[in-house]
Amino acid sequence: MLQPWEQSLLNLMMIVIMLGMGASLTFKDFRLAFRQPQAILIGFASQYLFMPLIAFILARSLGLSQLHTVALVLMGCIPGGTTSNLFAYFSRSVLGLSILMTVCSTLAAVIMVPATLALYTAGIDAEFRIPSDNVAAILFVLLIPTVLGIVLRRSNANVGAVTELIGGVVGVLVILFLIGAYIPRNLDLLSTTPKEIYIAAIGLGLCGFLIGYWFSRALRLNSAKARTVSLETGIQNGPLAILIVGMTFEGTQQQEMLLIPVLYSMFIVFTSSLITIYYRARSLKEELARDQAKVEPA
Amino acid sequence: MNLPQSVYDSRPWIQHYGSMPAELKTPEYNNVVEMIVRSAEQFAARKAFTAVTANGMNGTLSYAKADEHSDAFAVYLREHLGLKEGARVAIQMPNCLTFPVAAFGILKAGCVLVNVNPLYTAVEMEKQFIDSGVEALVIVDMFADKLTDILPRTQVKHVILTSVSEMFPPVVKQVIKLVQRYWNRMIPKCEVQTTPFRETLHKGYELKQNRQIAVKTYWEHLTRDSVAVLQYTGGTTGIAKGAMLTHGNLLTNVDQIHATGVAHNDERQEVMLTALPLYHIFAFSVNLLAFHHMGGNNILIPSPRPISNLRRAIENYPVTWMTGVNTLFNALLNEDWFKVYPPKHLHAAIAGGAALHQAVAKRWAEVTGTRLVEGYGLTETSPVITFNPLEGKVRPGSIGVPVPGTDVRIVDDQGRPVPVGESGELIVQGPQVMLGYWNRDEETAKAVKDGWFYTGDMARMDEDGFFYIVDRKKDMILVSGFNVYPNEVEDCIAKIDAVQEVAVIGVPDQGTGEAVRAYVVKRDEVTAEEVRQHCLKALARYKVPKQVEFRDELPKTPIGKVLRKDLRQEYLQQHAQ
Repeated sequence: MLQPWEQSLLNLMMIVIMLGMGASLTFKDFRLAFRQPQAILIGFASQYLFMPLIAFILARSLGLSQLHTVALVLMGCIPGGTTSNLFAYFSRSVLGLSILMTVCSTLAAVIMVPATLALYTAGIDAEFRIPSDNVAAILFVLLIPTVLGIVLRRSNANVGAVTELIGGVVGVLVILFLIGAYIPRNLDLLSTTPKEIYIAAIGLGLCGFLIGYWFSRALRLNSAKARTVSLETGIQNGPLAILIVGMTFEGTQQQEMLLIPVLYSMFIVFTSSLITIYYRARSLKEELARDQAKVEPA
Repeated sequence: MNLPQSVYDSRPWIQHYGSMPAELKTPEYNNVVEMIVRSAEQFAARKAFTAVTANGMNGTLSYAKADEHSDAFAVYLREHLGLKEGARVAIQMPNCLTFPVAAFGILKAGCVLVNVNPLYTAVEMEKQFIDSGVEALVIVDMFADKLTDILPRTQVKHVILTSVSEMFPPVVKQVIKLVQRYWNRMIPKCEVQTTPFRETLHKGYELKQNRQIAVKTYWEHLTRDSVAVLQYTGGTTGIAKGAMLTHGNLLTNVDQIHATGVAHNDERQEVMLTALPLYHIFAFSVNLLAFHHMGGNNILIPSPRPISNLRRAIENYPVTWMTGVNTLFNALLNEDWFKVYPPKHLHAAIAGGAALHQAVAKRWAEVTGTRLVEGYGLTETSPVITFNPLEGKVRPGSIGVPVPGTDVRIVDDQGRPVPVGESGELIVQGPQVMLGYWNRDEETAKAVKDGWFYTGDMARMDEDGFFYIVDRKKDMILVSGFNVYPNEVEDCIAKIDAVQEVAVIGVPDQGTGEAVRAYVVKRDEVTAEEVRQHCLKALARYKVPKQVEFRDELPKTPIGKVLRKDLRQEYLQQHAQ
């Protein structure tokens, strides 16, 4: 279970991350993105249609308890995390698209997360469900730093750029912090956790990568954009899910539910690193292929 | 061999000057430093230079600060290093705040500034250092590792190290350094002994204070005939040689630039986007000297590639002018963020350095609602020779009319003026023409004959006195005895919407002697046959490319000039067997 000070620190870190994300943006970015909205819409669809559905199907087919089902569905509904931007950068995907997808899914989350969550957990006992207004309130609190970040960058480019960098660094630190805070204290719980939970927590991200990629390809996005959507879909905002669980539940319920987002956050670092290495190789190969195409006479 | 009756002698272009003065005004300054110091007094509190990185981090120097710092640097060079008047001091760095401070400091010390391309290889650096006899060097940390092997073989005794984030606010500076060093790993280990630029300024201030030095005594006796800059050229054609540009050459060109009306000295401060490197003569004279003189704020971009590096600068500053080359404008016009939100306050943009494609000029006008005016010049002419008047009708494809005080002729191979409308070599005479090539009398004699500088560019003049560059003399293609100018073919192909960039060269051909070969970078799908069909509609059959090759990019110089010679060389190597 998270200590109160840890919960506060997590809050603070989320605020810094969102500030940083805001500082990487201008209002023009949104208007630009919606001029050619295909990629954003495709990403949006795979984020809010497929991810919750995958989570739901996984939970059902693995026979997870109500508590874990709620946690997994929450994990599926949650918008993309800022770490996806970092991995998009490493994998030489389309960074701009990645950032905009994160922002759009985060902005829409105020409405989409409570709605999808309510839909997929409708048949679950009321005491295990996450109250919709609670989720909306937390997300709304995070929107304020995002807007502040945008304003900050407008008023002082230097402060904005430094904030953006710090937000990126904290985005990585927060996952390390959460793993460090949770795992040593819950070794017993982790060792008795059934393998279904592990499969669910790891499988959610992997399915997201796969479906994000092939859905984009099916709708004729180019491979670089498809890789971006893939990472964006698979990588969820783990810390945000932990924050919501932490602020909604207490005691052993919280501890049990946190299993899913913590395991997810821990393994997504590994799986997305592997995917990133693979995507990077693919990007480089494509770049090289284009390069070699030069010497062939037409 | 002067032919007094030539049509060029009456300067028929003057009728199109509009509000431009026909003659140059009486020189106001004896040397470049006088001009710089005057601007510093006049605009002391204004922002002079703002360096902006790709993520928007920035540092600014006011006119007063740039002046004080460059004074201190001059004192350091003269008192601490003991350099004598006329000593060559090189600077080798991308656009950053150190550039103007060091460049002005070197001139204030009475030394000769040698601009060195930071992307040079160690071998090229060694050649240029030895050729110019450089004694001290200010270099950016990113490239200082190249010095290790070559330094002992040159006369360079002092190396001063700077960074792109020099003179940025302290926190930002440290952040950039951390990112450069540990994230991008772009700061190599420097194994030669260096002095940090910051320390040279401290030392300079200290010496100036202690010894009560009046910096003026270093430069007040310099005349318009004193050499100010050694500007190396010939990079796109062959061996680099140093053009000796005098204080008078540069001052004249600044006056000529102002005469064309590109920099107004009104209440509102001009904001100039300086994406071209200052070590290149175009940005050096137009941006660093002329716009600074008019009280403008130069927005210095350390690297304009990728082109998205310009985005934050364009978003964050009310840019009123910008300079660039064809490829830079073309790249901007391919960016969504630029097309949808072009700079709101832009007056006009100035193209030079390489031929401007009409398709680019046209799209620029459509997107930004401002003119993209082309000028023409060379390193040897400080550089501006001709410019399109901002008033009056647009003449597509013209490099404009000669700037005030400049004579231009079009001559045949014997140096005889050719009639109006006929093509020949463009030659020029005027106070902006260099003194000669440094230590290369033979080369100077080849380029300057009877007081005329031979540009090596083929051009023609129309009835109104407007000039049109046809091409570089050496790029001309001879197809079955007919002259084909690559520029004309490139301009035609660039008009195809699906074409992003194009370069045209001549290659050996058994049937026609030489054949036209086009290298095309696509924006959208287009086939070689479509390219040829398009050309057939606009060009004589012999000018239509026989071969079309598609590429992802074209080889370019650091300022973005397409290197036809590299394409030619590559083709010849591949087809040598």
